[in-house]
Amino acid sequence: MDIMIKISGLTFDYPGRRALDDVSLEVAAGSVTALVGPNGAGKTTLMRCIAGLETPLAGSIEVAGMDVIEQPRAVHRSMGYLSDFFGLYQELSVARCLEYAAASQGLPDAAIPQAIRDTAHQLQLTDRLSQASGSLSRGLRQRVAIGQAIIHRPKVLLLDEPASGLDPEARSQLAALFRQLQAGGMTLLVSSHILAELDEYSTHLLALRDGRVLESRALQGVAQTDGARILRLQLAAPDARLADWLHARPGVVCRNVDSGFAEINFQGDANAQAALLAALVQAGFAVTGFAEHKENLQQSYLRSVAAHLESVESAP
Amino acid sequence: MMNPEFRRNLWLSFSTHRLIAMPALLGLVFATAAYSLSNPGKALYITASALFILIVWLWGAINANAAIIEEFRDKTWDQQRMSALGPWTMAWGKLFGATSFNWYGGLLCLLALVFSGIAVDQPDWPLDLFSLIAGGILLHAALIALNLHAARFEMRLIRRGGLGWLVIAFAVLFMQGFIWSARSPLSGVWWGITIDNQKFFLLASALLFMVCAVFAAWRLMSNALQVRTLPWAWPLFVIILTVYFGGFSRKESADNVFLLGFFIAAGLSYLMLFTEPNTLLVWNKLRARRQAGDWRGWLADLPLWPTTVLLAFIFAMIAMPTLTAGLSVFPLVTALLLLRDACIVLFFSFAPNARRPVSTAILYIAVINLLLPFFFGKFGWSEVAHFFNPYFSLGSRAFFGGVGGSGIDLLIAGIHAAIALGFVAWRLNRAARQ
Repeated sequence: MDIMIKISGLTFDYPGRRALDDVSLEVAAGSVTALVGPNGAGKTTLMRCIAGLETPLAGSIEVAGMDVIEQPRAVHRSMGYLSDFFGLYQELSVARCLEYAAASQGLPDAAIPQAIRDTAHQLQLTDRLSQASGSLSRGLRQRVAIGQAIIHRPKVLLLDEPASGLDPEARSQLAALFRQLQAGGMTLLVSSHILAELDEYSTHLLALRDGRVLESRALQGVAQTDGARILRLQLAAPDARLADWLHARPGVVCRNVDSGFAEINFQGDANAQAALLAALVQAGFAVTGFAEHKENLQQSYLRSVAAHLESVESAP
Repeated sequence: MMNPEFRRNLWLSFSTHRLIAMPALLGLVFATAAYSLSNPGKALYITASALFILIVWLWGAINANAAIIEEFRDKTWDQQRMSALGPWTMAWGKLFGATSFNWYGGLLCLLALVFSGIAVDQPDWPLDLFSLIAGGILLHAALIALNLHAARFEMRLIRRGGLGWLVIAFAVLFMQGFIWSARSPLSGVWWGITIDNQKFFLLASALLFMVCAVFAAWRLMSNALQVRTLPWAWPLFVIILTVYFGGFSRKESADNVFLLGFFIAAGLSYLMLFTEPNTLLVWNKLRARRQAGDWRGWLADLPLWPTTVLLAFIFAMIAMPTLTAGLSVFPLVTALLLLRDACIVLFFSFAPNARRPVSTAILYIAVINLLLPFFFGKFGWSEVAHFFNPYFSLGSRAFFGGVGGSGIDLLIAGIHAAIALGFVAWRLNRAARQ
């Protein structure tokens, strides 16, 4: 796994409080990492430190192999950042906003017209290029701001609450864009309070709480720490034999079971899953549903928080 | 490839209407001036100079002020800081871009000035020309530098429109000097060199300070763009000011210059002490850099005022032996009191939940230096008054009656500094325990 962002011992203070406390983490190249946490967890501060906009008290940050603290200007060529409170040059047209962003990120003059066309096409802004950015709706302004952040095709894109204030249609388009950018090889770090939205495109979870990393892991295919998958079984009618039958099966650990429904941790591949289903049917269970259950981001995050709170409470 | 920041400013500053309107209006004013006065050439020369001052110096100062303010107001500053543009590109792009329309009008005025200067055989028109240009760049660069500095310590100043008023006031003062020099070509001596041509000296001075202002804008832009710089430029500026103003000393001796250097270093130390961020965070960062052995980072994060406090002590030590016996310890006494005042500012800045620490520190400095000595002096306790302020003359109940004339004054100032340092150490220890 190639590492795009590597952070070690990052500590950042605001007057009277520690915003980031000895944070160490790695972000895989080509991933879309959902940065989640409650208000004040340190998400924006972490992003601003990665972007080279703030100097931390201690620690190191590397992006694409470059030291952000020592070479912030060079790192910016490989990075795009959309702030939570972004601004646009209101009197400039969309085309000129994009042209300025491209030129200020070091794109050669000859490459800029094509970059504007490609970015405008990607963000469905082609018919808005001559319009003043100040006259655009909130959703369109958001798209222009994202366009400014990606026009130079950065390796890393940092987005702080990119969907705030957008309608459902615009959010859906944004999710599609992020998937498209990831498919193109870009590494994305996206913070949002709306976890369902992050669920649509995130491959990794990075949870922060009180300035510390609560959890950092891949989301897909590793729902359980022991490598097991969660399967859900639904019967057409209650059958009292179900719990005992499942307990007796090798590779099955019951998480939640009653006479008509079961949620199990299953050790085995797709063939083993098919064999288990065949055995259930052969045993006379009227199976109406039998499928893998993937934990969504919200559940995953809440489980991390619950585990954290439990560990805090049980600490001496 | 044109500087993107400069080009962006051109887009915002120019339109077809503005391109046509400026020469049309200026032409009208020049024609009116030339035809309504008895000496058209002279009238055109004066009008062109006055309009340049109005368009470039004053109106341009407003636009240069907005160059930084508007980035904060429109929330585009982060985008600029995230760009790959270097500090110099960003600095000159703003310096000449934000004022480009003013320079467009200004160049037309300069054309009129050159034309009329040649026509009426005005011998020093090149000096006027370059002085006007240097003055404009000096003002605009100073404004950009001041606002970048203000953004580091007091965002409220930026939200209220920046420090434009300060530079415009300075421009008016400078303008008076310019007009005065044009009317009364007095001669003077600078480092033994007779100044025969006041205008030439004024131009050289304007060029010197223009370079300083542009350099300051570049350095502060570097800091704003997170490019680390080492703190040598600020003490160098003190030395430049010392050499410049030292040249006017009537007594052509280096001794006077060191004393002057001490005053300049102390004055600029106070200026920075009251305007730089001195929070506990800054000092914690310095401690972290020191513990990590990152001395380059330590110097880069060091506030600027300690560098000139150190310089003030150096100047004081050098100046001391050159002074008469009664005044010999005076610079060192003052340097120790400067150190005490710096500690008072730090003491209040390091307080938990510190609110307006600089204002509070200034209040306490005033109480210690003025109110308490007057109070005790009034009741005849001059020894106590003298302890609070060594400048408070024993017996005379007046300030500066016998300034720093003895070792006892040095001892008092040393006690002040030691107590203040003790308070800062106590505050730091307490903060470290929390």
